[in-house]
Amino acid sequence: MQVRKTNYQVNATPTFQVLTEDEIEAIYYAALRVLAETGVRVYEKEGVELAQSGGAIVEDTTEDSSLVKIPSWMVDKARATLPERVTVVGPPYKDGKRKHMMELFKNQIYYGTGSDTPFTIDPYTGERRRAVYQDVKNMAKLAEALPNIDFFMSLGITQDTAVGTYDRWQYLAMLEGTNKPINITAVDIEGLKDQLEMAYIRLGGKEEWKKAPAFSLYIEPVSPLSHSEEVVQKLLYCAENDIPMVYTPCPLAGATAPTTLAGTAVQALTESLFGIVLSQLRKPGAQVIIGGLMSNMDMKTAVYCYGSPEMALLSAAYTDITKWLRVPEYETAGCSDTKCFDEQALLEASINIATAGLIGGNMIHDVGYIEQGLTSCPELLVASDEIIDRTKRILRGIPVTDETLALDVMDEVGPGGHYLAHDHTFDRFKTEIWRPTISDRQVWENWELGGSKTYQERVHERMIGILEAETEPLLDEAMYQELRRICELADDRHKDEELDVQMFV
Amino acid sequence: MSELEQISTAILQGEEEKAPKLVNRALRRKVSAKDILENGLLVGMGEVGVRFRAGDMFVPEVLMSAEAMRASMELLRPELISEGVKLVGKILMGTVKGDLHDIGKSLVNMMCEGAGFEVIDLGFNAAPEKFVEAIKEHQPQIVGMSAMLTTTMRAMGYTIKAIDEAGLRDRLKIMVGGAPVDAEFAKRIGADGYGSNAPAGAELAKQFAGAA
Repeated sequence: MQVRKTNYQVNATPTFQVLTEDEIEAIYYAALRVLAETGVRVYEKEGVELAQSGGAIVEDTTEDSSLVKIPSWMVDKARATLPERVTVVGPPYKDGKRKHMMELFKNQIYYGTGSDTPFTIDPYTGERRRAVYQDVKNMAKLAEALPNIDFFMSLGITQDTAVGTYDRWQYLAMLEGTNKPINITAVDIEGLKDQLEMAYIRLGGKEEWKKAPAFSLYIEPVSPLSHSEEVVQKLLYCAENDIPMVYTPCPLAGATAPTTLAGTAVQALTESLFGIVLSQLRKPGAQVIIGGLMSNMDMKTAVYCYGSPEMALLSAAYTDITKWLRVPEYETAGCSDTKCFDEQALLEASINIATAGLIGGNMIHDVGYIEQGLTSCPELLVASDEIIDRTKRILRGIPVTDETLALDVMDEVGPGGHYLAHDHTFDRFKTEIWRPTISDRQVWENWELGGSKTYQERVHERMIGILEAETEPLLDEAMYQELRRICELADDRHKDEELDVQMFV
Repeated sequence: MSELEQISTAILQGEEEKAPKLVNRALRRKVSAKDILENGLLVGMGEVGVRFRAGDMFVPEVLMSAEAMRASMELLRPELISEGVKLVGKILMGTVKGDLHDIGKSLVNMMCEGAGFEVIDLGFNAAPEKFVEAIKEHQPQIVGMSAMLTTTMRAMGYTIKAIDEAGLRDRLKIMVGGAPVDAEFAKRIGADGYGSNAPAGAELAKQFAGAA
């Protein structure tokens, strides 16, 4: 074959980049400086001692905490053993197959929901109310059915269960609804242990977990630069028990972090790097995913913005940083500051979903969040599935080959003809051209005949359709009872804490 | 511009060095402390409130004004006491045990200081015993608690219980706040009120103090 083409570059997908390599390095080395010079405050003695034995400088110890300064070489050492690739695989279906795998490494995208909102929008009445067990199960059922939702977090707190043990019930509700990978939360170490036990049962043993964990744990250090007792305990337990951990601060530019976005990125990275160092000291190879929720405070209302352009931009910039670091990342999208399922929900979610996809964020969470993360919205979850689908079409890019340039076809059809009946069209239109599932493209008359339904009405119908569809239970009765028993035993252990029970609803 | 107008303007513009200086000068010129408070400082903070609600002023600007107010009040408080003026009161504030979230509570503090309250800040991760001891020591009229996490919300309930068991509950008004908290929850744990944001917290404190 004659070679005529040289120096030809291909973009297999569109590319998007916020920071250059030089800027990423500037942020990374700045974070190392903050770790070494400003330090972080640690409210857990074992964590402080572990850091100290690993070479950290410990100063200013008070009755509840110490200032810990990490020399840069400790970060280098930790990074050498930190996994670049982390996988979480959902539990098996009836055929024994674990079908949903989340494989987190550079440029792999997975979208999922957010966690633990006190409130939810009732799918039938549209009312905003406290979330309960059935809501979490419903949301999980939606996530199970929506093809572009890859992992699940509890879109609502099960507030009809006791506050000291709700995490186990919440996990049970999720397992009733979905077999996708889950990012759990835990009240405390005891709650984490119980949920791990439940996962072993669900998978059929600890060995199955070792092959591939079925959940990761959400751990949130407090900005600025503080690591609470509970957070450090969870980190250490995860490292010891091969539980992937999402170690993600939520710095708020202008309030709990510098108002400049570069400064916020530095601080967030500092906070996560401490988690990385401590995890690798406890167990080299401990699996850490760092993130991921960085935004600005709205200076009129003092709220945390989930729908702001800064949130999308900062998260994208952080993705650039984690790609360079080769650490799996926790991104944020599909969320909004609106109060109900309206235009604002859709426009904010569309922009942040597209941005997170284009940049290549790994574990993109918070799909379905509204009201600054206080409320979960099932309709936004359903609509986001289509927005993600639309985004993925853009991500597939435009392959440029002799076949797609279609010169032969053009020559055959010639001036004035058409392509509709051509084989080239017939063979490719389904893959080349994206088709909406909820968005409307009908002509006026047919739209009118179909009831003149708005986008919101169509989303609502899709949601109800999924919720009311008869599906086979994911857990058989024996499995359900076994898992439920762990929850009940936990309740039993805590039954004397009368304040805890019925605290919510 | 009159002396008192200058003071209210300095508060409005958040000039934390200039405002106390102006207060000092007014005191030297024998303007009464009550006059300075009511017709200077509070006029300025009142205007801050109006502009903030209208969206013409933003949180960092309000905090600068509150800071100017706090610095001025420090100077004025002894004078007010010697004049026998009834002060709005003292608030004890803290983020409850297990919770390191500081900013929401600090915002409320500054807003309350802006309203003329003296605020004792217990910081964050404050255990029930710490609240009880501080109540005994400082004798506040109002106690405010903050929790950011659903898991630490219950610590507010434990703290109220501890205050009750120490026999201190009756002399206090207790207000609570934080992202996962709502009015119903506040009622359930036996608090007197709930503020959904910092200005609402300060308003609540004013109501409790009979100053609203």
